[in-house]
Amino acid sequence: MGTPMMEPAQAEDSQLVQETLAGNRMSFQLLVERYESRLFSLARHYTRNPVDAEDIVQEAFLKAFRRLDSFDGRSSFYTWIYRIAVNTVLDVMKRRGRSPVQSAPDPELVGEARPVSCPAPDAELHTQEVSEITHRVLGELPEIFRTALVLREFEELSYQAIADQLGISIGTVESRLFRARAKFKQKLLSLYPEFGGA
Amino acid sequence: MEACKQQQALIPSYLDGELSEAQAAPLRKHLLACQDCRNQAQGEKSLKVWFQAEGPVVVPDGFAARIARRAFDGDTGEPAAPMPVREETPILRFVLAATSVAAAVLLILAVTLRSSDLPSSDRLRADSDSPQQLEEVLRELDRVNAVAESEARRK
Repeated sequence: MGTPMMEPAQAEDSQLVQETLAGNRMSFQLLVERYESRLFSLARHYTRNPVDAEDIVQEAFLKAFRRLDSFDGRSSFYTWIYRIAVNTVLDVMKRRGRSPVQSAPDPELVGEARPVSCPAPDAELHTQEVSEITHRVLGELPEIFRTALVLREFEELSYQAIADQLGISIGTVESRLFRARAKFKQKLLSLYPEFGGA
Repeated sequence: MEACKQQQALIPSYLDGELSEAQAAPLRKHLLACQDCRNQAQGEKSLKVWFQAEGPVVVPDGFAARIARRAFDGDTGEPAAPMPVREETPILRFVLAATSVAAAVLLILAVTLRSSDLPSSDRLRADSDSPQQLEEVLRELDRVNAVAESEARRK
């Protein structure tokens, strides 16, 4: 019986994890360097304050370091650290009084989402303005929906990856996304009626 | 229409690239033929424009080195636990009240004693004695002594 085949990057990560566990600080630094951008990218969808984003990413990496011996290599290191980062973000949001991602009623149980048509942003709007509007609307959504949209639309995770990260089924991911998009459109039009068109 | 309802339910997954070719092919065919469903697909696509990519992520300089150092220094990254709130017992309340009263009494006493130590004469004020005034006083004393001595001699 051979060992399962690993992608080169995954094998390097496993090597760095082993070296870190053996006390090599530089190896952990290399792991952080590999994934810091992706974690900062995630964090900035939850806070527009760079200092807060840094605190979240920092907390995630330090948490990962503490639990490094529990990394068994069954998933990629990226999947593992990303899950820690998602949970850290949700913990931080909870500490700030946001509803936790798992506590909201299941989308399938709260009735059918009302379809709302939603126009694309005006062509004159700059990327920065679109981003500000989008994040304001996201900030108004229950955490359960914001996280679904962030992971799918910004982070471009597959349904399977979202299901793995949140510990839910693919069917739940689908229905949660459907409902999250409907909520996003409703909230967008209630906050910015000018985008409602004719 | 039932066919539209079934196909419309697949549109989000289709746009997310989550359908197999076996599911996507009939939907594509339906979209070519159905204006309503095409409009709905267009609406879903428009929503995605709100989630366009932002600028590059900015990672603070030296972040990885700092994190590695903190991790190996034993920093857990846990937020500080809130300070435990000490329950205020009746005894503690009494001690605090008694201490406050005692402090107030001591303060009043100290102020009273300090003001009673100050010179009360309006002519002998320590802060008003300039060297010139002192000389005048000494000269006056000399004069009074001289008068007293001459009177004593006369007697």
